[in-house]
Amino acid sequence: MKPRWQLLGQRGIPLDDRARADFDTWDRRLSFTRGFEEVAKALRSARPREARPDAVRDLGAVFALRLLEHAGLSRVYDGEARRIEMYEYPIRQMRGFQFVGHVRSFDNKYYLKAASTGEVRLVAPYHLDEFDFVRAHAVGEPKLPITGAYTLADWSYNEFYLGRHPGWKGRTARREAQREFVGEIARHALRPTIQALIERGCRVIQIDEPAAGTHPGQGDLVAEAFNIATDGLDGEFTMHICFSDYRNLFPGLLEAKRCRQWAWEFANRDRDGRDGYEVLNVLREYGDTREVGLGVTDVHRDDLETPELVADRIRRAVKVLEDPRRIWVNPDCGLRTRSLDVAYAKLEAMTKGATIARAEFQRPRA
Amino acid sequence: MEIRITLTGPFPRSEELVRATRDLDRGRQSPEAVEEIYARTEIEVVDLERRLGTDRCTAGYLRWADLFRPISESWGGFAVGPITRWFETNTFYRQPILHAPPERTPGAIASRLPLPLRGEGAARALVILPGPYTLAGLLDNRSGEAPQALTHRLGRLLAEEVRELRGLGYRSFEWAEPLLVTRTPTGPSAESTVEAYRAIHDAAGDSTSIVWTYFGDAAPAVSVLARLPVSVIGVDLAETDPASFEIDLRGRALGLGVIDPRTTLSEDPGEIVRIVRRLQEQGSPREVWLGNGAPLDLLPAEPAAKKLHVLAAARTALTPANGRRS
Repeated sequence: MKPRWQLLGQRGIPLDDRARADFDTWDRRLSFTRGFEEVAKALRSARPREARPDAVRDLGAVFALRLLEHAGLSRVYDGEARRIEMYEYPIRQMRGFQFVGHVRSFDNKYYLKAASTGEVRLVAPYHLDEFDFVRAHAVGEPKLPITGAYTLADWSYNEFYLGRHPGWKGRTARREAQREFVGEIARHALRPTIQALIERGCRVIQIDEPAAGTHPGQGDLVAEAFNIATDGLDGEFTMHICFSDYRNLFPGLLEAKRCRQWAWEFANRDRDGRDGYEVLNVLREYGDTREVGLGVTDVHRDDLETPELVADRIRRAVKVLEDPRRIWVNPDCGLRTRSLDVAYAKLEAMTKGATIARAEFQRPRA
Repeated sequence: MEIRITLTGPFPRSEELVRATRDLDRGRQSPEAVEEIYARTEIEVVDLERRLGTDRCTAGYLRWADLFRPISESWGGFAVGPITRWFETNTFYRQPILHAPPERTPGAIASRLPLPLRGEGAARALVILPGPYTLAGLLDNRSGEAPQALTHRLGRLLAEEVRELRGLGYRSFEWAEPLLVTRTPTGPSAESTVEAYRAIHDAAGDSTSIVWTYFGDAAPAVSVLARLPVSVIGVDLAETDPASFEIDLRGRALGLGVIDPRTTLSEDPGEIVRIVRRLQEQGSPREVWLGNGAPLDLLPAEPAAKKLHVLAAARTALTPANGRRS
């Protein structure tokens, strides 16, 4: 979802016709350059180097805020306009890691992977500048996404803690070492960062755990990490998991007591005659009555959901959850792989669908 | 006891290859330049294998996007499907979709094998392909064929593949079968798996046929593994406790996946020696193949290469001073 003009502008490259047209079209629609006239002028000129990269990035963040607000969302963030990815940056804010090289994720996509080489310690809390900026410029209620400890550990080599286990490193030793590793990241990196964010006024924090579904039966570890990072802190905490078999995380995940909302992907699996919302039954089976961030927008397809389809998905969720007040409507995951036009159209359909459902149930929020 | 060294699965792409393939996708690098780097890196992997003393050569399978892609891109009835998690890892494959009865395309696999394995390299080459049970179990089967029948059918098609490749001089075939130990077949599924391997065995003649399992404990799968007509059965020792793994090998060799690519930490050669000696004391097997337990591309290239040297050290330690292997 990062606009082309931001990518070019940050590198000091003059905007091409496409980027320029995008910039002007969206500005007419969102008036996002208001208050940022200087950087906007530099971008529109053939001399983008006159705009500092961080000023272009700030404008990208404002653009994302305005886009989400204009689409009708009540909780907003900056579209992670300052971030390149969700693993390397947080790890670089910690001691006790060393990057060892690139690992292929799929096809020609790779990520730089780190190994733990010592006790995990935080260099300095991160995402604070990002939150300050969002709070200063958001009209809607700001939320801040942050990568969870379980995911940071799972995407790293656990050498330091595993190395402390003598003998053959079988499954039992690995699991025990992983518990230590996850706990240490949660305790010494996530928690102080979340604490600092709260001190800056951050109220809503979404802990992203995309790796949660990687190892069936480790829902308890995910929950443990969540609790260590959030216990006793005065914020509203949600947990985002996507593209996973959620059932594999239960009942262990239920122990994430401070988690107020499960924000999951559903729309992607709601096709080819399959009911993607059937999996919500797992919450009913375990008597869990927390809020649900209901993914109603498939972020991997350009096909636009209609407001009616979104409303239908909400209705199906209400049938299982019974109480519409438990539902927050959101996309399945980040829309970064869609074009801006598609992303906006999807968000607009989402909020319109929520409006239809809200009229029926008097509650679901986007 | 004969000690051999083998590598299984793809070798990680070098940092240079990572940069080049990324740049290729972004239009900053020409296909010809990337091809040159592939070719050079394949030779580097072959050199590494030579230094390690592997009995067969893989050349790293660096160009393969995933284990299934050569089949799903070239065989009839297949399409390349969505990105899907590769077992309990943060790596993914594109799930093959089977929308009609599968048909082998002659020459398609041979043309996708790493360059150093072709021609004169074929005799020493290790052809690594998905095993019939894993292929049948991980694809999205929309063909209407029952799963067991499909496993058997894929076994017959892979047998045809073996016949063709033998005609080109290939003599060693490895079947990657992680699903055998993560979703172990029972009843009719087990029968169809054994039947599939019988078809492959009939085609393989005097070739070496290896089943390599990983990502799961092989102990619960012993009853199926023991029935497979292959030359070597490989297990992943990060998942399988060597002390509790007992199998009637009936003359087959045992593959021990002693290198764990889930960690950059080096394995202790002494520990590997102890495991092999324990097997010796139990009187079996006649031959042990030491290798990596799971595919090495869970690691970056440099740490992977470093870890492998333990294999050579373990073999040296297991080889009596007179040069004859114990």
